[in-house]
Parts: sequence; C-alpha cells; structure tokens
Amino acid sequence: MPETVRALVERFKPPVSVRNYGTVFTDTTEFMNIGYGDVIALGGKHYLVMGDESERRFGMEDPKFWVKRCIELECGLYRILKLQFMESFDQHIGPLTITCHRSATKEARILRLVAGDPRFMQGQGIKDSAGNIVRVLERVAGRRLDLNIEDIHSSHQEYFFDVYPDILRRFMAACRAIHHLHQHGETHGDIRRDHLYVDHKTGDYCWIDFDYGYDSVENPFGLDLFGLGNILSFITGKGVHAIQDVDTDALGLAEADCALFFRHRVVNLRKLFPYIPEDLNRVLMHYSAESEVFYETVPELLADLEPCLDNLRRT
Amino acid sequence: MDFKNILISVDSSDNAMRAVDYAGTILANSQGVRVTLLYIERAPNRDRYEDEAAWLNQCRLDHERVFDFLKSARGRLVAAGIPDSAVFERTVLCSAEPSIAQTILDVQQEGGFGTLVVGRRGLTKGEEFLFGSVSNKLVHNAKNCAVWVVQ
Repeated sequence: MPETVRALVERFKPPVSVRNYGTVFTDTTEFMNIGYGDVIALGGKHYLVMGDESERRFGMEDPKFWVKRCIELECGLYRILKLQFMESFDQHIGPLTITCHRSATKEARILRLVAGDPRFMQGQGIKDSAGNIVRVLERVAGRRLDLNIEDIHSSHQEYFFDVYPDILRRFMAACRAIHHLHQHGETHGDIRRDHLYVDHKTGDYCWIDFDYGYDSVENPFGLDLFGLGNILSFITGKGVHAIQDVDTDALGLAEADCALFFRHRVVNLRKLFPYIPEDLNRVLMHYSAESEVFYETVPELLADLEPCLDNLRRT
Repeated sequence: MDFKNILISVDSSDNAMRAVDYAGTILANSQGVRVTLLYIERAPNRDRYEDEAAWLNQCRLDHERVFDFLKSARGRLVAAGIPDSAVFERTVLCSAEPSIAQTILDVQQEGGFGTLVVGRRGLTKGEEFLFGSVSNKLVHNAKNCAVWVVQ
C-alpha cells in the first residue's frame, strides 16, 4: 500500500486493528477479492473496507459480497459502497415468478434524481477505472420502520388511536416520494418494509435500495403499488397476522379476507380489530384475494387514504 | 366509425396470431374490409443490458421477430381470402407513458377504426394486478368501436 494511503488509514482507522495494509483497488470488477483492510480508490477519495454488508432477515445473515462497509479516509465518515453486479434472477411473489434484474445504472440514475431529498438514501454513482458504476452511499441515520413498530408494546387499540395516525401520515409522505419516482419514469422496484427507515432526528421516512428493475409491462408501477400495500397492511395491523394464528371460525375469516399473493396473511384487519374504520379497511381490501379492482398509481391509493387520515385525526 | 375498418393489435405472441387467424376466418368473405395490423413497439429496458452493444443487439432481434410476425400475419389474412391490397401494417413507438393500451386506443380513434381485435393472454388476477392487462384496459376504455378479444 502506498505511504500516502497508509497515512490515511492510520488517521481514520477504526478502533479495531487493521490486520494488514491490504491492496488499493481502482478496478472493482473482482469484488469477491476485495475485503477487510483493502482500500478502494474512487473519484479522488479512498475507502477503507471494513467488511461485506449482509441482509438480515428471519435471524439469518445472507452476505452481499458486492456491498462493502467502508470508511471514507479523507473525512472518517462511514460509507456503503455498492459495487457493480449485474444479475437477472427470478423473484417469487406468492405463486408468481417475476424475472428481475439488478442494475447499478438504474440506482445511480435515481440517486441523481433524488439528491438532497431526505425521503431517499443519499449518495452518488462513480465510475471506477474499469468503468464499473460504484454507488457511494451515506449511512441513513435511522432505523427500520418495521423494527420500530415491533418495539411498540402497547395494545393494538392503543397503538391504533395514539400512534398509528402519525405513522400513516408519514407513510403517505413516503408514498408521495414513490410517486415522485414514477413521475420521472422510474420505479423503486423493491418496496419492502425493511427498505423504509425512520430518520432518528425528524421521524420522517426514508427509502433505501432501488437497484431492482423489471421488464416493461402494461402497469409499470404495479409492483411498487403491491409493496406499498404490504407495508400499509403491516403498519395498520402492527405486524403481520397469519390466518393460522387466529380463531378463523370465531372471527368469520375466510380466504377472501387474506392477501391476494399471501393466502395465509389476513388483510381484512377490521375482522381482527373492529375499531378500524370501514374506509381504511376498504383500502386494505384492494390487496385481498377477493378484490377485482387494483390500484395502478400512487395518487389512486392516496386519494383513498387521505380521507381515512382525516377521519382518524378527528377521532 | 366504420366497423369494416379493422385494427388488429399484435405483439409477436401466439395469442396475437390466434387473434389474426380468428379475424381472418370471420372476415374471409366480407366485402370492403380494410385490415390494419398494428404493432406497438416498446424498446427493451436498457438497464437490463451491460452495454449499448448488447442493448442494440436485443433491439435488432426484436425488430426481426416483429418483421417476421407481421409478414406471417399478412400471409395468413391473405390466405384466408382478404385481398393483399386491403391489408396494412403499422408500427408505433411507445414509451412507458402512455401505456400500450392507451397508444392502441389513440391509433384507433385517429384512424377511425370501428373494430378493434386483440389477443388475450389469460392472466391470473395476481398477474393482472402486478403487470396489468392490455385487453382488459381496451375493453374498459374503448369508445365508438367494437372490441373483439380472442382467447
């Protein structure tokens, strides 16, 4: 490692020891070879690699070798570097299989579009010496929305009347953020509840990870609308309610009360929590197995949610 | 609208060819019909391709497939008994907005087509939610014309 970069590492190295001074990479094509202690030099800056990012779901860790946790040595700040990794793969949504692709170009384009917009993670796409588009991302100063909600230990009724209206208001602002993408011909592509963060300072919501794309279809925003519906159901129910966990006979629950794609997940939440207003429940039922009418655009969804929020504020 | 002025909207699928065959059978002995084969072209998603060359290659392959399809569809209509001089072809470029269905309806209105023919993929409810259905949108939104949906 050159002396100049070694000096930077000494200045900003983390409180743990760097086992050795690794290699300085300007070409990130072989991202599997880039690991702890290496430095990625990019756009005049140096990024000390601390490790690979991983996806944590259901207590399992799935390493993402193309996503590096780094420290920017010129300023000492934490950064995430997403290295270019093009792949196409099948995604399963209930019984459906959808071919999607991971695109660095798409994410870099959206980062440019949303620069300075706190409703989205911030960063920029920079080309390495081999022309790979590396996304240099700032850490989102917040926590996953779903984890925040799971940590609320009040009853559902208390949650619904005391906390939920503000969550719904902020969620609707997050929906408007997605509409902003759609207006510019973009989609988020991977709307999930663990891709929505709550800002520590403002409490506002921030979307992360928008590198998934799909082939053009007649309803270009259908997948995003589907994801928004899942989150709406989660925040309204204060979690997921599986049909096997409730007394279906006593509550009169049938398959028609469950989600179109997840036939075990109850979306007719009014049957579980009768104080959920009819108009709000009607929105949820657009995502149910019995629905014949689907939302195609965010404004359609918001037009139905806005009176619900107004009514909740009055109660 | 002239109901003998017929617009068959096609992609290069088997469903579209079924619609062509159906129209050919029904219209075989009709006098004074004009049949236009309409292909709405949407460029492949650039994000899927590593570089410009790969994307352009896919565009070329798509063009060739559509060219072959239109040629074959015309041949089937003529073989069914529709005069070659009464068969027309049209390709229209479409971006994400407006949708393919809306583009078809714009062409239908602008060309005074009184009959619109389209194949149907037979989507499940879930597929229709996520991907949308061109034929469904046509049935719901078409004005001043008959819509033949061929399964």
